[in-house]
Amino acid sequence: MPVRGGLDVSEALASAAELASLNPQPWELPGARIVQASLEIVEAPAEAAIPPALHPSIPPYATFTVAQFPESPAGAFNLAQVRIVARAGIRPRGFLVGAVTNSEQAAEALAAGWGFACSMGEVTLTARHDQWIGRAGRDGETVLEVVCRDPQVINGSDVDLLDSLHLVRHDGEGLIVQVDPEYTYREASRGAAELPVFAPGAWGGAVHPAWPNVAVAVVVDTDLPAPRFVMDPNKLAIEGTRRLESA
Amino acid sequence: MKFGIFYELSVPRPWDAEAEHTVYMNALEQVRLADRVGFDQVWAVEHHFLEEYSHCSAPEVFLTACAAQTERIRVGHGIVICVPEFNHPVRIAERAAALDIVSGGRLEFGTGRSATWTELGGFRANPDDTKKSWDEFVHAIPKMWTQERFSHDGHFFSMPSRAVLPKPYQRPHPPMWVAMSSPGTEFDAADRGMGALGVNFASFTETEQRVKEYRRRIQSCDPVGEIVTDQLASVNFLFCHPDDAQGVDIGMRMIRTFQYMAGQLDMAKEVFPTRSYPTAGLLAQTRRQAAGPGDERGAPEGIAVGNPGQIVEQLKKWEACGVDRINFLLNAAENIPQEQVLASLQLFADEVMPAFAGARQPAAVPGGGS
Repeated sequence: MPVRGGLDVSEALASAAELASLNPQPWELPGARIVQASLEIVEAPAEAAIPPALHPSIPPYATFTVAQFPESPAGAFNLAQVRIVARAGIRPRGFLVGAVTNSEQAAEALAAGWGFACSMGEVTLTARHDQWIGRAGRDGETVLEVVCRDPQVINGSDVDLLDSLHLVRHDGEGLIVQVDPEYTYREASRGAAELPVFAPGAWGGAVHPAWPNVAVAVVVDTDLPAPRFVMDPNKLAIEGTRRLESA
Repeated sequence: MKFGIFYELSVPRPWDAEAEHTVYMNALEQVRLADRVGFDQVWAVEHHFLEEYSHCSAPEVFLTACAAQTERIRVGHGIVICVPEFNHPVRIAERAAALDIVSGGRLEFGTGRSATWTELGGFRANPDDTKKSWDEFVHAIPKMWTQERFSHDGHFFSMPSRAVLPKPYQRPHPPMWVAMSSPGTEFDAADRGMGALGVNFASFTETEQRVKEYRRRIQSCDPVGEIVTDQLASVNFLFCHPDDAQGVDIGMRMIRTFQYMAGQLDMAKEVFPTRSYPTAGLLAQTRRQAAGPGDERGAPEGIAVGNPGQIVEQLKKWEACGVDRINFLLNAAENIPQEQVLASLQLFADEVMPAFAGARQPAAVPGGGS
């Protein structure tokens, strides 16, 4: 049996977002710009940071993402995320370990609708021809700088930004909710992944980058649909996943 | 129709001192029985770092043991990875030739390029380049075998004139194959005069179409070597039991275990966006099969689990598709006890093989080519 995550779910739920509803009003997010780097990470702390429902990926790796959403029901906002990639059954998913946004309105809605546990901070994305740079900071200190260096145009259909899994509280119980946006690619590039700044402690302390994989820089029309699947954090995903009636 | 067996050598946790030894010894015992009862080939993969799924990183060593313990069964590299970060082509040619010699000319030489990020990333290989390096290697290796001295000025390797030694026992050289994973790979095989070694679990309809295209294209091939291997093999699972329901039940347990382990692999496409891997490869196929239509017995179409009669019926359909060979996975993570695996092999030989003309073939003799 493949290795399972070792997260103490009951302890982790204390800082998880409270989901107001399992059937939120979907968001359309046109014209989003996203830079995402993937890097291999140190095994042990990462395995301890994902719930027993999931298997760590082989090798363990994480995605470091900064997105700029010019339009949303909550207005324009930027969002930085760090996710540990794990297997839910046999499918790769990004388990969210930290998020920073620059919009209080977005933060509240993202938490209530989809379980993003966001902290407030400064999040910027700079798109240049030689590199895309995403930055996140809190209290004047940069906690993430992610770079897609020397981006080369590729086909958007080759890109997989991965669906997300969020640990949430809902109706007095702990759940993992799957967030699976659609992406229509306007532009897509691939480049070298660099992480000039990363403060592990600002992202839960479980992610320690080791080797770069690859980075992408994309312009997409995307969305946040109502969740379709939830799972029990303590049961293997193949046993503890259920489809929501509202889906 | 010829039948072979196919090894990933999967080792479940916990990995105590005996775990890998047991898996290897069980496999060798199966190979000895397969040789005695008339299986034609044993194939072993080259995989690296694939925890539990495959602990078969040195297939030439395993296959040498197979050859030493058997008399007739052919030994297949299925496949050796033709990517410079994994293997220098001279080392591939040398090892393969030595295996051909010690096996008495029983080598089948399969080639490929790896499909997982776990492996490609581990060797820091660029997924964009693997098809190109594979092509350069498969054109060069037969020359290393057939020319007394060989020199090369290429993109992925260059070398001054040297005698690459030893030369294979089979002359001019062993049959060459390419792993057929994503749709279209059969064209790569056919265009180069190579056998197409199926490593996924395609449907009858898909296989029939691929066989047809392969046969058409190989007629006008530009062979990489001095012989053409006009053969198409597919892969399957095997669990044969006198009682059909038990056979399906035990066989499907093995299949689910295999698929779950395979589902843990990070495929190149999932991590590294590239045209070089247009599909997720092996895994996409196994997943689709897992979700595919099952028959009333609870087994997906074409899978060789159940009693001998049911297995004959399934394999006849593959034969009708034009498949020349079927290679069977016999176990996954030691899910099936060894004595049951051996009994399954024996029953298959006794009651299934006779239904297929040409299933029992003497080992190829040196100089025979393919």
